[in-house]
Order: sequence, then structure tokens, then C-alpha cells
Amino acid sequence: MSTDHASTHVVTPWTALTPPPRVDPYVDLSEFEADGDLMVLNLGPQHPSTHGVFRIKLVLDGEVIVKAVGYPGYLHRGVEKLCEKLTFANITPILDKNDYLAPMTSEQCFNMALEKIAGVEVPRRGRWIRTLLAELQRIASHLIAIGTFAMDIGGAIGGGTNLFMWTFRERELILNAFEELTGSRFHYNTSCFGGQRHDLPAGWDLGVIKALDQIERRMVEYADFGTANPIFVNRCRGIGVLGRDLALELGLSGPLGRASGIDHDLRRDAPYHCYDELQINVPVLTAGDCEARYDIRVQEVRESIRLSRQLLAGVPEGPICSEKPNIGPTSVRVKGAPAYVAIEGPRGELGTFLIPTDKGTQPYRMKIRPPSLHAVAVVEHLLPGNNLSDAVAILGSLDPIMGEVDR
Amino acid sequence: MKTLIYSLRSMAIALRNAIRPPTTEGFGYPERVRPERYRNSFALVHEPVGPDTPESGPEEACIGCRKCELICPSEIIVVTPAGKAVSPTTGKKRGYLESFILDMNACIFCELCVQVCPTDAIVMCQEPTAPVFFREDLLLTREKLYANEHQRTPAWATGAKLVDMQDPDKLSPEQQAAKDALAAEAAAKKAELAAAAAAAASAAAAEAAEPALVSEVDKSASEPPETPAEGAEEVN
Amino acid sequence: MTVASNASNSFIMSLPSPVPEILTHPVGHGLVMGTIILTFFMLISAWSIWFERRFAGRMQSRVGPNVVGPAGLLQPIADAIKLLRKENLVPSGADKVLFWLSPPMTLFFTLATLAVIPLSEDLLVAELDIGLLWVLAFSGLLLFPTWIAGWASNNKYTLFASMRAVAQGISYEIPLLFSAIVPVVVVGSLSISDIVRYQGEHGWLLFWPLGPGALGFLIFFVASLAEANRIPFDVPEAESELVAGVTVEYSGMMYGLFPMTEYVHTLITSALASALFLGGWYGPFGWAPGVHWMVGKTLFLFFVIFWARWSLVRFRSDQLMRLCWVWLVPLSLLCVCGAALWVVYVGGVA
Repeated sequence: MSTDHASTHVVTPWTALTPPPRVDPYVDLSEFEADGDLMVLNLGPQHPSTHGVFRIKLVLDGEVIVKAVGYPGYLHRGVEKLCEKLTFANITPILDKNDYLAPMTSEQCFNMALEKIAGVEVPRRGRWIRTLLAELQRIASHLIAIGTFAMDIGGAIGGGTNLFMWTFRERELILNAFEELTGSRFHYNTSCFGGQRHDLPAGWDLGVIKALDQIERRMVEYADFGTANPIFVNRCRGIGVLGRDLALELGLSGPLGRASGIDHDLRRDAPYHCYDELQINVPVLTAGDCEARYDIRVQEVRESIRLSRQLLAGVPEGPICSEKPNIGPTSVRVKGAPAYVAIEGPRGELGTFLIPTDKGTQPYRMKIRPPSLHAVAVVEHLLPGNNLSDAVAILGSLDPIMGEVDR
Repeated sequence: MKTLIYSLRSMAIALRNAIRPPTTEGFGYPERVRPERYRNSFALVHEPVGPDTPESGPEEACIGCRKCELICPSEIIVVTPAGKAVSPTTGKKRGYLESFILDMNACIFCELCVQVCPTDAIVMCQEPTAPVFFREDLLLTREKLYANEHQRTPAWATGAKLVDMQDPDKLSPEQQAAKDALAAEAAAKKAELAAAAAAAASAAAAEAAEPALVSEVDKSASEPPETPAEGAEEVN
Repeated sequence: MTVASNASNSFIMSLPSPVPEILTHPVGHGLVMGTIILTFFMLISAWSIWFERRFAGRMQSRVGPNVVGPAGLLQPIADAIKLLRKENLVPSGADKVLFWLSPPMTLFFTLATLAVIPLSEDLLVAELDIGLLWVLAFSGLLLFPTWIAGWASNNKYTLFASMRAVAQGISYEIPLLFSAIVPVVVVGSLSISDIVRYQGEHGWLLFWPLGPGALGFLIFFVASLAEANRIPFDVPEAESELVAGVTVEYSGMMYGLFPMTEYVHTLITSALASALFLGGWYGPFGWAPGVHWMVGKTLFLFFVIFWARWSLVRFRSDQLMRLCWVWLVPLSLLCVCGAALWVVYVGGVA
């Protein structure tokens, strides 16, 4: 007969429980916590401003931040491990969910890795469509970055939301175009091994040209509303200055690197798709502050609009895929040496390192190099010395996507 | 002071946007017209009605091959085939379906199941699944899927169309038109020759009925084989 | 004094029998007028929820609430019912007395200022000699409940927000008071009704004296935006940094009292600004005086406050302080000096 558990179990009222000692396993904050004047505040993971679920532990002296430690990992879904179980034929829709604001580029990066290993060349029309979709996706992603940055500065209930709603209104036009092309507004699964799965419907380019015209017109309004407003400028100028050396050390690319003076753009320097046939003007600023990062994105939107118009004017004919279509889980076989492929995503250099298994139907290891991970690492260096308000502005200007950071 | 002026300018822009008509619609809005490729829910279809369709109605297109189950990245489809039987439509043996469960709780709408289907049996529909109170109601069973065939508008994509769109040997419209023109020409030529051969054969048959004119029949019978040979050279 | 001046009003005397006796009796007058003014202010603030959300929606290219009632007009009632039905949570470790005390205290201080706000010559609860001082004193006291709420919530975010709110509040009281003194200097009385009557005879204080008047109005408007914690001076309530600022831990009607008093306070300062600078119940050049002018001006200023809120991004807290101490305080002092010089050399009530 076992002892009656209920009679021997001691019940402690919850008010008498003492919390365990706070020992941070990652960073030693003991010298900060010993100082009675400093306050430790958690910014996140749930917070109206953090872009995704990202926790920053701040040590504050009054309003000024003394130390900041970033804790990513709240959105870790084990994507890379999951892809080791799936076959090449059905990985692409999973990778849409990595960088969920620029799914086209994530899919394209993976399929380019497969094509590089197999030595397959995508037909010209397929490459052209990929280039066009990448540029449209860049516009859509930057519009969100602009809108959420204004919302961080101005308030979720207040003036910043105006800009947020307007950029989303413009982004809807691009999403409508994607809906007509692929059937889905947000997660497309339109790239495949060897090219594209969906071809341009008749009359699609007219709708896209109209959308680009409207976006270009409205960008002028956003400039007037935001960037010309001294209140806005005073919140961004000189805040969160990212030096060129620090940017190089942390491996930043894309708009973050170009705002700090690193003149590197994979579309121009290591061309892929059809970028070698296009003239790309890469904006580079040296200020490295929030205003520079914001300006770079606005200029990149304008540049992408120009490139998209150029691409729409001369779409070549032909097939869109150079491999037989995917009709079963083992229909895509890629055998060969491991390969790393990098493309210029809206946030920077998005890379895929792929090792196929011997059989060639699954990846043995797939590593995604997310640009936002490096952006988020910047937080520890940029935040100290700034106000809490500036912390939010800086995080907004870095534009991290936690789906990509944590995978 | 500059702050004040620019603030007033921001306020003016905001007011200008207030006067524009809103982009969104309130509740009670009419159903949005989706593009033809829009993909959302699912339906299983029957074979298209044709000359071979049996009287009991068109057969189910699904042959229980389980390709959709194997390709699905979310593993939400469970197919139980029912074994093979002779099809009343074609007279050949084909597979049949016993049960089909598609879990809409976890579908990621990737369209891969539609692409791999060899018989275009599963298609996606344009109307989303209606909200339900219980998670079990989101499991689309075979009955619900066949009911969706008539209750919902199918999207554009079927397996054959997607495979055709991605075909690496696909021709551009001009090339396809030129190829079609050549094929039409060849077909017309062949029809001509077939008609001439049929006419000559009937004439020969009519003359064969009169045994006195055997020599003439031999002569006329020797002529027709020449023209098909010439015609064949032209086509080639 | 109020009662005596109203006793000579022929309109009130001409009404049927019980009304003049009630309105000339001090308590009766207070009750009736108090009810009218309270109803006016509370109803307008409540329906400003509807208006703000519709207007913000249109500015953001969307519709705004249109489901509850025709064109969404019953939305404030829906919000009120929702808040009343919610549980009033008290966080563990919170100072219960202060936590519960803060929202009613806010409401009390806001509504107490209503006692001297005139809607027209007759529609006012009490005409005090020190009416303006009464209003500004109670507005200043509003910092206490905010401070208390932030401390009592046992939350680092609210502590942050309350410190910011107190710093901002006490700083912006100075330009607020100084710019409110400009009409006092010109008119020579602290009574709001006296100031309005002066404007009826001499033209709106916004225009005459021009410099101190217009600048004084501008500074008063900006400082009252800051006192009410409206964007662009939204730092204590900054959603993207502090979620809901001081009121993060409040829920249910305890929370509901905070935005309600914020709207009522904003409406009261609009009414005060229109009374002090824009001529109150007198039209331009003294045309057609009446409650309609007062209501119209108040609602117009209220609209401008909403419009500014939904168009501008917020200042950072140190930029806000710099704006106050470097710009507004010296300018408001200059306004007072300018008004005093105007009184001595040009004229004004002796």
C-alpha cells in the first residue's frame, strides 16, 4: 500500500514561494545588477515595436541605456532540420516562411543553390521573370520597412500609423499583381528547380506598370510627410550611427551596409539572374544613422521601380523552366559537391549553403545565411548611450525579420 | 518655427488623404473578385463528361496513387486506395479511392498536390473554407471534397496545366503558331490524298465489277500508287 | 454674485413659474447648470471617440467603425459597455490604495474644472473672481494621479512613463500659465466670463494685441497639448516604447476612466482657449453672441487637436524638454511683457 500522496504533500501558498536567483546563463550582468541606480528592463519579446518576437534586455540609468543584450530565438521553428527530412521537391514552400516579407527571394536563393550544384541553367525567360519578381518583392519589403519605422517613431495610435497604412495600401497593389501571377498573396511557391512554376498571364504587365506609377507618385507624399518633417528628422539624424568598420566586422550588407558606406551590392558585383544585362545604380550613404538607413530604402524603392519598368518592357519568350516539372517527391535529383549561393535580398546578402545527400533527393545539410541575424547583432553595439525612444527607432531602422533570424 | 510649418504641411497631407475615398470596405462588403489563379480551399473532381462517359455519370478522377500524400510538405493528406477495377469509361483497369482526408488546419496552400496529380483529380478552389466551431470540421473528408466540386469555383491550376506551363520544351506563342500552321498544312494534304485514294479505290471497285475491262482496270490501278508517293515526298 | 446677475436676465424671468425660482436659487442654479455643462462635455468627449476613429480611418485610407449603430455612431456605448464588463485586475505587489485611488482622482480633478467654464453668458455653473486660477490649479493637480498610477502599478514601464509624464507636466505648466496670464494682464481680471465680455467689446484677444495675443494663443495651445499628453507630446504614453504608458496595468473601467478624462481634459482646454483668446461666445466683431459660437470654436479646436494627433510623429523626451525650456518659456515671458507694455502705452482696462 503506497503512502497517500495527498496527506504527505506539503502545500506552499504561492505568495510564500521565493523566486529562483536570477542568473543570466548568457551574459554576466552582475556588476550592473549590483549597482542600485541601474534598472534592468526587458524590451520584448511581446512589444508593439519589436519587429517580430525579439527580446532585448536593457540596463538603464534613468533614460539612458548602459548595456543592451539581445536574445533572439523566440521564433525558432527548426526549419533547417525540417528540410533535412523533406525532399528537394517540397522544400520550397517551407522557405517562404523564413523571410516572410520577401518570400520570392528566399525561394529563389534555395533553388539557385540546387541549380548551381546540378550545373543547370535556367532559361532566359525564367531568369527574366525571377529578376522582375525579385525587384517587385524588394519594393514591397521596403514599403513595409518604411511604414513600420514611421510607426515606431510616431506611435501605433498617432501620426506614424498614417504612413504605415499608406505604404500598406501601395503594397497591396504589388500583392494583387502577385496574386494574379501565382494565385497566392503572401506565400507563393513560385520558384522551382530549373526556373519558375508560374508564367506571366496575359495583360499582367499593364497592371504592374499602373501599380508602379502609383507607388512612385505616393513616394513623393511620403517624403513630404516624413523625411521633410523636422520632428521626424530630429528623431533619426545622428541616432544609432553605425561605423563602417563595425559594419564590416559584423558582416552587414544590403541597406544597412550601404548606409554605412560599404559600397557592395551583389546585383552589381556578383550578378545573377539577368542583372548583368541591367544598369543598376546603387545608392550609398556614409552617415550610418537611422536617417541614412531610411533614405537608402526610399532610394532603393525608386531604383527598383525603374528596374522593374525596364524589365517589363522587354520580357523574352520561351520556356520558364529548364527541368522537367516536379511530379513526385523524388523527381528532383541533385547530386554533386556542396555549394553556397548568395543573392541580394531586401535586407542584405541572403545565402544558402547546401550539401545534398548521396542519393540526391534530400539535403544532407542546408544552412541559410540570414542577413537579419547580423543586423540584430548590431543592437548590442548601437544601443548603449541612447535613450529608450532611440532604441526603438534604431531597431526599426535595422528592419530585422525574426523569421529569418531564428528560422 | 520650421517645425511648425512642416507640421502643418504634414497635417495638410493627412487631410488630403482623408478626402480620398477609402481603400478598404466595411462589413457587409461584396465578395471580392479573385483572379483566376487564386488558390484557397480544395475539391476533388470527377472526370470530364465525354463520349465514353457511362450512363451512371462521370467517374471519379482520383485513382488513389497517393502522389499528393507523398509530396505534401505538411503531411496533411491521408489517402487510402480501394484497389483496382475495370473502368466502365475506358474498359481498362484503373485504381479507385476509398478514403481521402485533407487537414485544412495545417495546409500551407503550396499547390504541390495539384501539380503532381496525374489525373487532375484534386484542384484548389477560390472560396476559403468557412469558419467552423470545431477543429474536426476542418478535416476535409472525401464527401466534403466532392461536394466542393459543385459548391465552389475551381482555380485555374490543374496538374496538367501546371506541368504544361513548366515544360522545358515549351514553345513561345509564335513558334507554337508556326508549328500549328505546318501541322494544319500536313493534315490538309493528307486529307486530300486520302480523299483522292478513296475516290480512285471506289472507281477501281466500280470498274472491277466489269470483267471485260480487266486491262483498263490494271492500268488505272497502277496510277494511284504514284501520287501518294509524290505526296509523301512533299510532306517529308 | 452669479445668482444676482442672472436674476436681472429677462429671458429667465419670462419662463414659466418654477424655473426662475430654481435658477435664481444658488443650489438649484448649480444643479441645473452643472447638469447641462456636464452633459455637454461628457457627451461630446464620448462621441469624440467615434469621430476620432472615423477621421483617423479616413486619413489612413480606411473606413473606421461603421458596424455598431448607423455609421458606427453607437461605438462609444459599445466601448463603455465593454470596459464596464471587464475585470478590474490589480497586479500583485501593487499598492492597492493608490492603484484604486488614481483613476477616480483623475476624473475628479478634471470635472472640478468644469465649474467655471462658461458656455455662454448664462450657461455657467459659477462665475468666480478667480475662475482662471481655479481651472489651471486643478489641471495642474492632474499630475498627481498620473504619478501615483505609475508608481502603484509595480511595473518598470509605468514607473518610466510616470516619471516622464511628471517631468513633462511640470515643465509645460510654465508656458501654459504664462500664456494664460496674457489675457489676465490685458483684461485685468481672473474671471473667465470677464475676459470673454472684454473680448466682446474690444475684439478677440487673438488679434488685439496682435503679437502677444496670437503668440500667446499658440503657446497656450501647444502647452495644453503637452499637458494632456497628446501627440506630438506623447512620450509618457508612447505605445511603441511603453505600450500604454502609465495605464499598462489597468483594465476595465479603471482603465476606461483614463482615456475618458484625457478626452474631457482636452475638450476643457479647447473651451478655455476659445474663451481666453478666441472671444468665447462672441462672434467676430461681436456679432450674434451666443452659445453657438462657443460650442463651434471649442469643437473646431478639438478637431485641430485630433488632426494634429493623427498627422505628426512624437518628440523624444529630451527634445520635448528643450522645446519647452529653450523656446516656449522665454517666448511666453516675452508675451506677458508685451501684453503689459501694451496695457500701459496703448490702453486696456485700468
